[in-house]
Amino acid sequence: MKADYLPQSVKVLQKRDESADTFTLRLGMKVDHDPGQFIQVSIPGIGEAPISISSYSKDYLEISIRKVGNVTNALHGVKKGSSLFVRGPYGRGYQMSKLKGKGIVFIGGGCGVAPLKGAIEYVEKNRKDFKEIDLFLGFRSPGDILFTSRHKDWENHFNVHMSVDQIPSKTCYSGNVGFITDTLNKTPIQAKGTVAFICGPPIMMTKSIQLLAAKGFKDTQIYVSEEKLMYCAFGLCCHCMDKGNLTCLDGPVFRYDEIVRSRDGKA
Amino acid sequence: MDALYRLEADKLDIFLQSLGPDIYAPVKTDAIRFQKISSVKEADLTALADVPVKDFFFRQREQLFKFTKGKIATEIKDAPFRIFFGLRRCDLNAVKHQDFIFIEKYKDPYYTAQRKNTLLFGYHCDEALNKYCFCGSMGLEEYHDIMFFDKKKYFLLNPGSKVGQKIVSEAKLKRAGTLKKKDTIPKGTDRLEKKDISKLFENSLWEKGADECLSCSACTSLCPTCYCHEVKDDVKLSDLKSGERTREWSSCQLKSFTRVAGEHVFREKRVDRFKHRIYHQLVYFKERYGVNMCVGCGRCITHCPTTIDFVSLINKMK
Ligand code: SF4
Ligand code: SF4
Repeated sequence: MKADYLPQSVKVLQKRDESADTFTLRLGMKVDHDPGQFIQVSIPGIGEAPISISSYSKDYLEISIRKVGNVTNALHGVKKGSSLFVRGPYGRGYQMSKLKGKGIVFIGGGCGVAPLKGAIEYVEKNRKDFKEIDLFLGFRSPGDILFTSRHKDWENHFNVHMSVDQIPSKTCYSGNVGFITDTLNKTPIQAKGTVAFICGPPIMMTKSIQLLAAKGFKDTQIYVSEEKLMYCAFGLCCHCMDKGNLTCLDGPVFRYDEIVRSRDGKA
Repeated sequence: MDALYRLEADKLDIFLQSLGPDIYAPVKTDAIRFQKISSVKEADLTALADVPVKDFFFRQREQLFKFTKGKIATEIKDAPFRIFFGLRRCDLNAVKHQDFIFIEKYKDPYYTAQRKNTLLFGYHCDEALNKYCFCGSMGLEEYHDIMFFDKKKYFLLNPGSKVGQKIVSEAKLKRAGTLKKKDTIPKGTDRLEKKDISKLFENSLWEKGADECLSCSACTSLCPTCYCHEVKDDVKLSDLKSGERTREWSSCQLKSFTRVAGEHVFREKRVDRFKHRIYHQLVYFKERYGVNMCVGCGRCITHCPTTIDFVSLINKMK
């Protein structure tokens, strides 16, 4: 690994609003990558932020961003045709080719669906390589639902379970209401030959892991995508270190057994 | 490289001055810190320097690149030829560990530019400089261009590199015996009794240490091996499109170290931050790279406002 903090300029090919606070940028970057990897995106003068890749394509790279800080707010101001500074991709994502022949349960909450979307698109392109696919997607309210333009396609290929936590008054919505983990709890899933990918708020991830364990999933069948503060993205700044793991190098996608080592009193 | 050469004490100044204009040594100002000296008489060799040399190579604030109107450019200039005299064994090894991570592992151009024209002249400690030293427990190695053993009327010099050997030869110093391994380790410095603390993570004594911690981050800023940093953009107020991206030292003892969107702090509890530093120093770095990070200089104890001695804390753990 080389310490290289220098970003490259890339073109913004497309910009789409996904919800009131989340948007997608399609970048003119043709790079080999695994779903679940991330890039460092920056606007000089404002700063840099790690953002996970939300697409799987040989022709472009998409990032879906929630406006939560200086950099992400500024990125929302970026227009189609202008340039951004980017470095990466970084990290270990979902190693899909190693999971050939398995079923996958995707569990995503809010903007945690973004990193999963890359893996979902991989499965769409390689549908024959995988068995049963279940998507459990939870959002805060109907207005927060992401990637609606893709849902039809997903419903054609996969078992899609979606719910929103709540419906604000005067909203017209006919889908499920409640936590997505409740839907997960009620849905029968065959643990054998299946793996689960989880990404979302910490509480949702913990709850999902418990539910999966109750359904017979072992730690080695569960993959979680971690969010940590990071600066360099190549293992030198050490901000993303969790116990001995560097989220930027060893993750952001971890097999659950790799991160539960403090259970037996070990660091 | 175990040859020893003799240099008369009154010749030390001439010897150093003959090598170049930029000689740095520990000097007592507000604290003992490395500064350029014009005579070795200015050096204070009575105690461990309060501030290690780290800042000369891995600088507290480093410009990564400049940007102007959507263009970026790096400006990396090599530091001039410098000699650092008076480095203790712990600090020499701290430079070794930083060389390892920044040069060998990461080929970091910024660190390399500051470090490459540097010679390291050590000053051997016969015994622990203070009661918190524990370098003898850390498996340190020889890492110097020349090590100086102070024999009062004269010095014994041990060259540890080709350049060091060349300097000693060109100064026509006389051979004066051979260095024995046992004489390289300062006496009374092996007080850390446990070699592996990885199974002590849940030990309740960590809470005791953390109870005294003020999260002031003195420990990380004065540690010669800590290398965590953050990256920031600075702009000129007169021209918001121009500025620089920098990296700056940061501290795992602060909550901001792990704060992400939504104000979520990964190591919210003080004890988790307290343990993280010590585990990174004594366990995690070694797991990943096979070498220790901590060199046992004890600065994080002597300069802690509440003098939390994590070494005796660990010794008490069962
Ligand atoms: S952790 Fe403490 S004893 Fe170890 S090198 Fe750093 S300051 Fe010195
Ligand atoms: S110097 Fe002492 S009080 Fe300050 S953060 Fe470090 S351990 Fe805590």
